[in-house]
Amino acid sequence: MKTMQHGTTQGLIAALTAVLVLAAGPAPAAQYPTKSLQLMIAYPAGGSTDVAARIVAAIAEKQLGQPIVVVNRGGAGGQVGWTDMSRARPDGYYIGFINLPALNTVILDPQRKAAFKVDAFVPIINQVLDPGIIWVKGDSPHKSLKDLLEAAKRAPNTLSAATTGILSDDHLAILMAEEAYPGAVFRIVHLEGGAAQMTAILGNHVNVAFDNVGSVFRRIRTGEVRALAVMDTQRSRFLPDVPTTPELGFKTVISSSTRGIAAPKGVPAPIIKRLEEVFQKAMADPEHVKKMDEAGLALKIMVGEEYAKYYRELHAKAAKYTEWAQKRPHR
Amino acid sequence: MEGLQLLLTGFAAALSWQNLLFAFIGCVLGTLIGVLPGLGPAAGTAILIPLTFKLDATGAIIMLAAIYYGAMYGGTITSVLINVPGEAASVVTCLDGYQMARQGRAGTALGIAAIGSFAGGVVAALALAMVAPPLARFALSFGPPEFFALMFLGMCLVTGLAGKSLAAGLLMTIFGLLLSLIGIDPVRGAPRFTFDVPELYDGLGFVPVVMGLFGVAEILLMIESPFRQLLDTKIKGLWPSREEWKRSSGAIGRGTVIGFVLGLIPGVGAVIPTFMAYIVEKRLSRHPERFGTGVIEGVAAPETANNAYANAAMVPLLVLGVPSSPTIAIIMGAFIINGLTPGPFLFKERPDLVWTVIASFFTGNVILLILNLPLVGLWARLLKVPYQYLCVGTLLFCIVGAYSLKGTVFDVGVMLVFGVIGYFLRKLGLPLAPAVLALILGPFMEKSLRTSLEMSAGDFGIFLTRPISATLLAGAALVIAVSTFKFATLKAMKEAESK
Repeated sequence: MKTMQHGTTQGLIAALTAVLVLAAGPAPAAQYPTKSLQLMIAYPAGGSTDVAARIVAAIAEKQLGQPIVVVNRGGAGGQVGWTDMSRARPDGYYIGFINLPALNTVILDPQRKAAFKVDAFVPIINQVLDPGIIWVKGDSPHKSLKDLLEAAKRAPNTLSAATTGILSDDHLAILMAEEAYPGAVFRIVHLEGGAAQMTAILGNHVNVAFDNVGSVFRRIRTGEVRALAVMDTQRSRFLPDVPTTPELGFKTVISSSTRGIAAPKGVPAPIIKRLEEVFQKAMADPEHVKKMDEAGLALKIMVGEEYAKYYRELHAKAAKYTEWAQKRPHR
Repeated sequence: MEGLQLLLTGFAAALSWQNLLFAFIGCVLGTLIGVLPGLGPAAGTAILIPLTFKLDATGAIIMLAAIYYGAMYGGTITSVLINVPGEAASVVTCLDGYQMARQGRAGTALGIAAIGSFAGGVVAALALAMVAPPLARFALSFGPPEFFALMFLGMCLVTGLAGKSLAAGLLMTIFGLLLSLIGIDPVRGAPRFTFDVPELYDGLGFVPVVMGLFGVAEILLMIESPFRQLLDTKIKGLWPSREEWKRSSGAIGRGTVIGFVLGLIPGVGAVIPTFMAYIVEKRLSRHPERFGTGVIEGVAAPETANNAYANAAMVPLLVLGVPSSPTIAIIMGAFIINGLTPGPFLFKERPDLVWTVIASFFTGNVILLILNLPLVGLWARLLKVPYQYLCVGTLLFCIVGAYSLKGTVFDVGVMLVFGVIGYFLRKLGLPLAPAVLALILGPFMEKSLRTSLEMSAGDFGIFLTRPISATLLAGAALVIAVSTFKFATLKAMKEAESK
């Protein structure tokens, strides 16, 4: 009897809550969306994530029937924006871009004290995969990736290699290259981005840079700097003459920066489904394809479970290299 | 000469009606700020930065730069008419400008100031266009160690030159550096001094801090001294006489050179060139005793130097990404907000923007001249606005501005707290410039220091084995030695006097 009474009370509370939620909360999923959406970018306006997000948002909002407002919450390498997103109400009106593996390493690095875990986000659809690239100055003595790694092995910890920030995809890529060529050790220099790398390489302050195709391909085309390898399973359409790491015999050196849309955990499944459909359609739109091509950003559409699987697998891979980065004697 | 050619393309863009409009609005707002006593260029640009958020990068920077040199000129009006410098760089102008006004020659003083400012500004902008591109190429040899050494030198200059004593300057530099440590560690990514407040992860917002230190603090100080004397003279005879022309032209020429050269050195600040130009004129004059009684050279030289400096000071910013004064630091903030990094690559990557902005310095100076010669009487009338309205209005503007930065009340709080801090610092006679410069340079300095050490695998020798860095550090050592000596002699002189 007692248990039953307890059960009834609970049921009553649940029913009441449901009524209250229905009365005060957002409209049911079937009518979604009834107001504008916020699309959070964890980087400042004008960056390549922001540019790509605005292109797709402008197309998707036409299909969604409600405006999509791009909100830049830059800072702390994305951590500020993602903290915001993980705390947002999961009603489908606040979604955001996740950048991998930047998001993974923010979660994995204990020093960051991130307020969210890997399951705080539900991946919806990936938009861009910008492959990693290894590049040197035009007149560098290192003509090939093998040359470079051999030099790094002959005199360990003397060749300086620039990242675009600690635990960035480029930092992890350096570790992958070292792993693939035992004995090679770079002197890792963390710079704050592509522009700083370019200054440092052209001014002969560092020997090699690890970055992404999207930020350097124009200068590679003009011949100012030389690409040694693209860290992807297939050649980049922006740099068809540059060999890939697997072609050169380094199958494990695969690195990229991806950007896709995710929702905070707890958004109802029908809403997720709707967003998947809307954005998949928007990304297939010829206007989207054309504009992304002009921006030098390679599309890689992964939807739903495929994207979620990628997110999980990448997290495990990032965990391995993050741990290694912390233990590496020459940090 | 490539600079001149690129400059012409810049003009094409700068002369578009939008950009002219931005420069015009900037000049008007700047002059207004300069005229309102207390609010100087730093406070003005800081308060008005939120206004530019809706503009594109070029428009935003054109407008802020126009506000900057508009305020520089506006400050002269109050110096001449009420003997209160609208901003620090107009202090010297008071000496002879106010005396001229008392003799009924306020118009001539303001006229020559406008003409001198124009000449200094235009020549300096032209020189900037010629020096900047070769300097930008040279800037490639600046790696992290050189940047660290340069910023260190700049900071030593501010520390040694601002304030009444080395200790005061040093105190404020360290205060600024400590503030700059708040937030995520730029290399390792660990939060520092954030007390788990997510708003602090990115550090204290530079704009709310300077709005507080300059704007709000200034309002608090204004409330204390609400009385002032307006010289009730008719402003007439803006155009100097033939004889006055003859005396001023040399002063304008020398003022331009002094202002430009000193503007190239980061950390000098706007005050020193004006004093230097004044002293040089006094030394060269056959009647040095007349200075301070209303001689026209005493107005022409510092005002010219002031504006030449303002334009030249853009060189270190555009070429190296190193701001040389708090106001320039705020303009640098505007670049960063717009996703642009001032530095050698800006010339390569955004030549359109750089040259349009440089060309806008010319259009801005012309607008300023047109605005000021006929409208000087109107500006003078602004001085009659009662303080209570001015204070409330400015404070309201500051609060709205701080809120609009990110749409958070947190920034408003930061601004108000720093307003109170700024008020007490001013009361204690501590210089704000070193703190502001340290606050914006701090993260860059830390980053370049740590990157240098990554490059050398932890060896501090990297700063001394690279010639440019070693030279800059030697310069810094010299600055510290000279300013120590200077303050020691000043102290000794004072003691000797009191005995």
